[in-house]
Amino acid sequence: MSRTFVEMEGARLSLSNLEKDLYPSYGFTKARILQYYRRIAPFILPHLKERALTLKRYPEGVDKDFFYEKRCPAHRPVWVPTAAIPQDKGEELTACLVNDLQTLMWVVNLASLELHVPLARASSPDRPDAVVFDLDPGEPADILQCSRVALILRDLLSRVGLASYVKTSGRKGLHVFVPLNRQDATFERTKMFSKTVAETMQKHYPDLVTPNMAKQERIGRVFINWSQNSASKTMIAAYSLRAGEKPLVSVPLGWNELEELSRQGDPDKFSFPPADAVRRAEERGDLFAEVLKKEQTLPHM
Amino acid sequence: MAALQGIWSGTISFSLVAIPVRLVPAIQPGRVTFHLLHAKDNSRLSRRLSCPAEDALIPPDEIVRGYEIFPDKYITMTDEELESLSPERSRTIEIVEFIDIREVDPVYFDHPYYLVPSKGGGKAYQLLVEIMRRTNKAGLARFVLAEREHLVAVTSRSGALALTTLHYPADLLPGEVTSQTRGAPEENEDVNMRNTIVRMTADFDPGKYSDDRRNKLRELLIKKTKEHAVVEAPAPSEEAGPPDLVAALEESMRTMKERS
Repeated sequence: MSRTFVEMEGARLSLSNLEKDLYPSYGFTKARILQYYRRIAPFILPHLKERALTLKRYPEGVDKDFFYEKRCPAHRPVWVPTAAIPQDKGEELTACLVNDLQTLMWVVNLASLELHVPLARASSPDRPDAVVFDLDPGEPADILQCSRVALILRDLLSRVGLASYVKTSGRKGLHVFVPLNRQDATFERTKMFSKTVAETMQKHYPDLVTPNMAKQERIGRVFINWSQNSASKTMIAAYSLRAGEKPLVSVPLGWNELEELSRQGDPDKFSFPPADAVRRAEERGDLFAEVLKKEQTLPHM
Repeated sequence: MAALQGIWSGTISFSLVAIPVRLVPAIQPGRVTFHLLHAKDNSRLSRRLSCPAEDALIPPDEIVRGYEIFPDKYITMTDEELESLSPERSRTIEIVEFIDIREVDPVYFDHPYYLVPSKGGGKAYQLLVEIMRRTNKAGLARFVLAEREHLVAVTSRSGALALTTLHYPADLLPGEVTSQTRGAPEENEDVNMRNTIVRMTADFDPGKYSDDRRNKLRELLIKKTKEHAVVEAPAPSEEAGPPDLVAALEESMRTMKERS
């Protein structure tokens, strides 16, 4: 195994197998993956900070076996921040907190291409900072139907007084976030809210939307996965890479941008490779910044 | 104490013989039992039934029995319907035939009891114990205990009559085999009693017996299924949202559609 040592903010980090091509059919080495995360760090770190990271590791590349790791690996350097997360039956789990650049580089070096975090911070694991609507198109529906659903959802939420933000999933779907950032938020309420919204959408657009997880129901429809609003679930972080055939990023979009993409009708234009994601962020700033800041209250709950 | 008083009293009879007896348990399992307490104050905890759809504790008068025929689809049974299937409580253990106890595969034996003689039954009881011991015979009877009709074997054991409830053949898992050896009746002191036993002796053929109550219950379930008496548990996802939120979303959706 080849190793390279780097010094970063006083921390010494050992990087391995930098030349390994983790996206073999595309040609994207671990060195380039680390480079991407280093450039995007100022934008992704706020969304990872103080949240229990779930690693999704692809040690042999995206076309080989992967594994999830909720536990922060025991061989971690001393400077990796962690948090004890309460589990069922009174047990605790030590999770990594990606609060700084060197920890980000360390987890990416473990071939954790995808970075998944809960909707709540580690210090308040039962308090969601946002409601999420995970929109997942079931074939033959694609991201175009998905964007139509997202735009209807935005209008509906705005009519009940809620601002929302959208990002691509980095695969075929879209994620709509409603920031709350309030002490009194609970998963019980965010789940009930998202489910009720999903059911109203289905009632009015039964051919386009389903709130039902059953495979049969999802064929040709957009599944609004409201059940992601749970303390035990995680979402792919904004700006994380996805382990698809091509390296694509979960990228925040402006609503007007989504309207324009929806009008153009080309599903491929919803894909953002790492270079695009970096350029967009550096030019326009973090379009998801409000998700971490904006305070809102769910109506009629 | 229950063991002395008996959990049932009546007569054991066959042909014209009737002997007053009491049924007593033959075993008392020596289990060490624990209760569940609240660790904070040592209160004894109670178990209560709750409804997931309403998220509320349910009083006994709102509880019915349901037989699941498909996932989340049930046939309900009232207490009255179940009672109508229960056999009449009986005061006799009527031996219908005698078999060679060696023919009975031990896999049939369920729960052991003793029959002890009640007042006035001592002499006939001792005689039956002795004859059954010498002939190695067991009496087969149907007997209602705790609202269930059981198939039982009455045998002679340690100078007393032992009663053992038997499993119905339908309850046995495949693989059981019963031996078909048959012992010849032996000489006996009491000619009448012995002759009666010989006359009533048959091969052990458990296939003749089945649980009547269970058969009737099955028939009733099939009948009710055909009558479409099936009820369904609510799917958790059908639980409605807060009424005000539903109304606000509906109103928003309506005005959105009008404008487009």
